[in-house]
Amino acid sequence: MELLDFARGPALQFGLYVFSFGVAFRLAALLLLPRTKDLSKARANTPGVIKASGREIIRRMWPQPAYAEATRFTTINGYIFHLGLAIIVFGGTPHILFLKGLLGISWPGLPTNIINGVAVITFLSLIAALVHRLQSPVLKAISTANDYTTWIVTMLPVVTGLLAVSHLGWRYETLLGVHILSIAVFLVWFPFGKLMHAFLIFLARGETGTHLAHRGAQL
Amino acid sequence: MREHNTLGQTLQERGISRRAFLKYASYLATLMALPPSASRVIAEEMAKAHRQSVIWLSFQECTGCTESFTRSMSPTLEDLIFDFISLDYHHTLQAVSGAAAEHAREAAMKANKGKYIVVVDGSVPLKDGGVYSTIAGITNLDMLRDTAKDAFAIVSVGTCSAFGGIPHANPNPTGAVAISEIIKDKPVINIPGCPPIPEAMTGTLAYLLSFGKLPELDASHRPLAFFGETIHDRCYRRSFYERGMFADSFDDEGARKGWCLYKVGCKGPIAYNACATLKWNGAVSFPIQSGHGCLGCSEPDFWDKGGFYKPLSAATAGLTLGVGGAALAGAAAGAAGAELVRRKKAAAANAGKKEG
Amino acid sequence: MRTHDVTDCCPQDMTGLAEALVFEIADLLGEFASSGKGGAIDLRGLPMTETDRAALAERLGRGEVQATVHVSGRSEVWETAYAGVWWVRHLGPEGQIVAEQIAVTLIPQFLVSHPDDVHVAARKLRSECPVIAPGTSAEHFERGEGTHA
Repeated sequence: MELLDFARGPALQFGLYVFSFGVAFRLAALLLLPRTKDLSKARANTPGVIKASGREIIRRMWPQPAYAEATRFTTINGYIFHLGLAIIVFGGTPHILFLKGLLGISWPGLPTNIINGVAVITFLSLIAALVHRLQSPVLKAISTANDYTTWIVTMLPVVTGLLAVSHLGWRYETLLGVHILSIAVFLVWFPFGKLMHAFLIFLARGETGTHLAHRGAQL
Repeated sequence: MREHNTLGQTLQERGISRRAFLKYASYLATLMALPPSASRVIAEEMAKAHRQSVIWLSFQECTGCTESFTRSMSPTLEDLIFDFISLDYHHTLQAVSGAAAEHAREAAMKANKGKYIVVVDGSVPLKDGGVYSTIAGITNLDMLRDTAKDAFAIVSVGTCSAFGGIPHANPNPTGAVAISEIIKDKPVINIPGCPPIPEAMTGTLAYLLSFGKLPELDASHRPLAFFGETIHDRCYRRSFYERGMFADSFDDEGARKGWCLYKVGCKGPIAYNACATLKWNGAVSFPIQSGHGCLGCSEPDFWDKGGFYKPLSAATAGLTLGVGGAALAGAAAGAAGAELVRRKKAAAANAGKKEG
Repeated sequence: MRTHDVTDCCPQDMTGLAEALVFEIADLLGEFASSGKGGAIDLRGLPMTETDRAALAERLGRGEVQATVHVSGRSEVWETAYAGVWWVRHLGPEGQIVAEQIAVTLIPQFLVSHPDDVHVAARKLRSECPVIAPGTSAEHFERGEGTHA
């Protein structure tokens, strides 16, 4: 079997199965954990769970003024590569076709040149994120293998995708095969590393919001 | 049989001047991307050469390759190939049959020992001793090995002989294999395609005749002159691909406007062939121009690449049940894990109560 | 029912290739004029549009010599307005262009009679000459003895 056939076939299949199993496992394990009920009385005018958690999720999308300066780079650069990745994944026609195969729905894509431009910006933004992590003494001190692995596993699809559309280095079918394999690796890593924040931040922020709202505070 | 006359003398006797060689050589040089200066050399060498003995073996095939070969659309020029080669054995085209045909083959092999070219179309079945395809009681495997013994080169025409092709497709009930899996001690040129473009076959044979050596081949033993670029690289619809203008389905607005066929499964980006430049039926058209995506028929296992209408970027395995099942299994495992924690906690609480 | 025209998809614009080729031909011609070393450019191997081809033909123009060759179909050869620059076009049976080149040379090899053909033709013509009776003045003439009174 050729590399591309393996990538499009068994590799993606394995990746998607592990992703599906892993995400369900982690979410179920987390949400079904026994919880200690808060026996204190809620403050007056405490908003409901949905409003409190929703409010906190939105509030934390931008840092508080006191922390704005210290976190400016991470916030802005973070948005750049997150939005970039979203535009590439959900706006690039080949990716839309991949998702159509999975979900049965599709939508119009963006011109290839725009996607390529966004991919270059995303690539640079991810490099900047790594450099920042390595240069900041605090971040470097607290960074673990999990962080670096997550960075590599996110960067590889961007790099291999750019190589594939530019037909650089190897024959196209090899580049495409490698790109799809990198997605399989991404999917396998996703539930067990820092990428799981994609689901967990909503749970964490929501929980914090509800908890604080119960005590009549907002942070 | 080995002819005593050179090709130049043979055509001379028919009143065809050396200019015919020069014209054919120019045509060949253009086809195979050789410099124009090569045409004079080719013409001289061809005129001095003797008719090339060719033994054509047909195994597990549909005869499409022979049809393509004889359907060349520059007949006055390409007819010349039938003057340049002596087709000493070919099931479909030869007049004799039965034992006489096999004798003809053996005689040609003997007379042209070390110099004849074996052209093969069709794959060779290996399962159950090779009984699924035999000729005159001889299995394809035996006939191939026997005929290839004293050959100068083997040319596998068509995807079946080059890579196994359709017989090789899942589940491959006859154990079909490519010629190159069997012949390891002779040079093998692959000219895949289902069928191959006529000029790819005739051009390669003419090159062998003129230069007496193999043309430049890629890693899959395909002549670079015809298989060096993908359909995508030379497709006239490429600008639509770049601009993100695709046909969403056959006969929709995009399809009618001639937009890119990526979404309806075109395998152009990974198919190496000359269809986009040489085209078919005398440069009239090719699949994409006619509105259908490339099947990738010159690639190995093109039949098993997930379907002709599945885009290159889509997963090929059937996933819905598996992904759903995996999610359920994950949720169950998570619940089991949470339950374990719950019990541990309860046990600790009980132990605490007992102590307290 | 026609859906689309191939030319709708690939606008038959000028790609500028014709102008670029003129530079290359000028270089070849200059080299040929000074050193006698000619060359050729294979036009079919280039991604020329019909407009490019027409533009190049117009740019180079036609000179004094034009030839039609009937072998394996028709071929047309003409000298352009620039001495030494020849256009060689080989056509197939349906009149489609199968090979085409610009040859920078004194005369394209395609037009020159081949020595082997000449030998064969010489033998043929000799065999077709009227038979000369012995003893006649014609026989003496044949033997190079001049005419006798």
